Amino acid sequence: MKVDIDELKSRFLNLEFDKKDFELDPEKVAIVARMSGETLPQFSDPAHPDFQAPPAFIASLAAGRHLPINFPEFGGIPMDGGKAVTCIKPVRAGRPLTGKTHLHDIYDKSGRSGRMIFLVSRMELFDENGEQVATSDSRTVIRERAS
Amino acid sequence: MSIGSIADVEFGAELDPFQPDTSIAATSAFAEAVGWGGGGRFKDHELARKEGLPGALVPGIMAMGFLTSMIHRWSPDAEVETIDTVFRAPLLADEPCLISAVVTDVDEQQGIVQLDLTVKNQKNETRVFGTANVRLPG
Repeated sequence: MKVDIDELKSRFLNLEFDKKDFELDPEKVAIVARMSGETLPQFSDPAHPDFQAPPAFIASLAAGRHLPINFPEFGGIPMDGGKAVTCIKPVRAGRPLTGKTHLHDIYDKSGRSGRMIFLVSRMELFDENGEQVATSDSRTVIRERAS
Repeated sequence: MSIGSIADVEFGAELDPFQPDTSIAATSAFAEAVGWGGGGRFKDHELARKEGLPGALVPGIMAMGFLTSMIHRWSPDAEVETIDTVFRAPLLADEPCLISAVVTDVDEQQGIVQLDLTVKNQKNETRVFGTANVRLPG
């Protein structure tokens, strides 16, 4: 059965389905920066007064549940299609953070091997004052199984 | 050449690449730090092959890290506002990769530079590509 993208959008887009609290470990943030080849101390040295998480660490926070519990299965194997991060304010380690996740977009692309369904889940990250500091998008790609 | 302000940026310019560390030691440390250290996917070639993979992988978001680091080396004053990476195919640990970026737009009024980003393996196959919007001082 062909997946109805418009129907999925009307049922699932923009509804928060996950909420997580975080507190970033400064040493782990610094390891991620250093292993990435980062040279700026505000990302690699926890003692720097402007120490903050690099985009790759922010992207890692969105791991886990990318879809609502009642989201239908299409039969294909979900693949990680990529990540995007928008930095709004510095994301600080050692301070409370909250991530709220919703499905931000659903679209399809057709190619020689059939139709691929793209699901974009967006985590909005807030600091302890409720101010948004970043967004992290995770793209999941599912190849539609031929009926 | 290190970029100090947006006036120094030329449309079409290529950023100086560096050689990222894709060793198992680095991918393993990265995976442990982000909480993905379970299993052998990023830590052990044999265990990864048992999972049906061609070998241990470089985490996709580590490629995002390489690209961000390249931007910061190019301009230590750059603020990466958005970075969007598409994981086209896996990058293998312990294999060299080539990272590159080219300036595709310069908006001096807004102070924003747009970059196209690519990560290729040693066979010159694109594994990760994407874009970034970077804010630079005026």
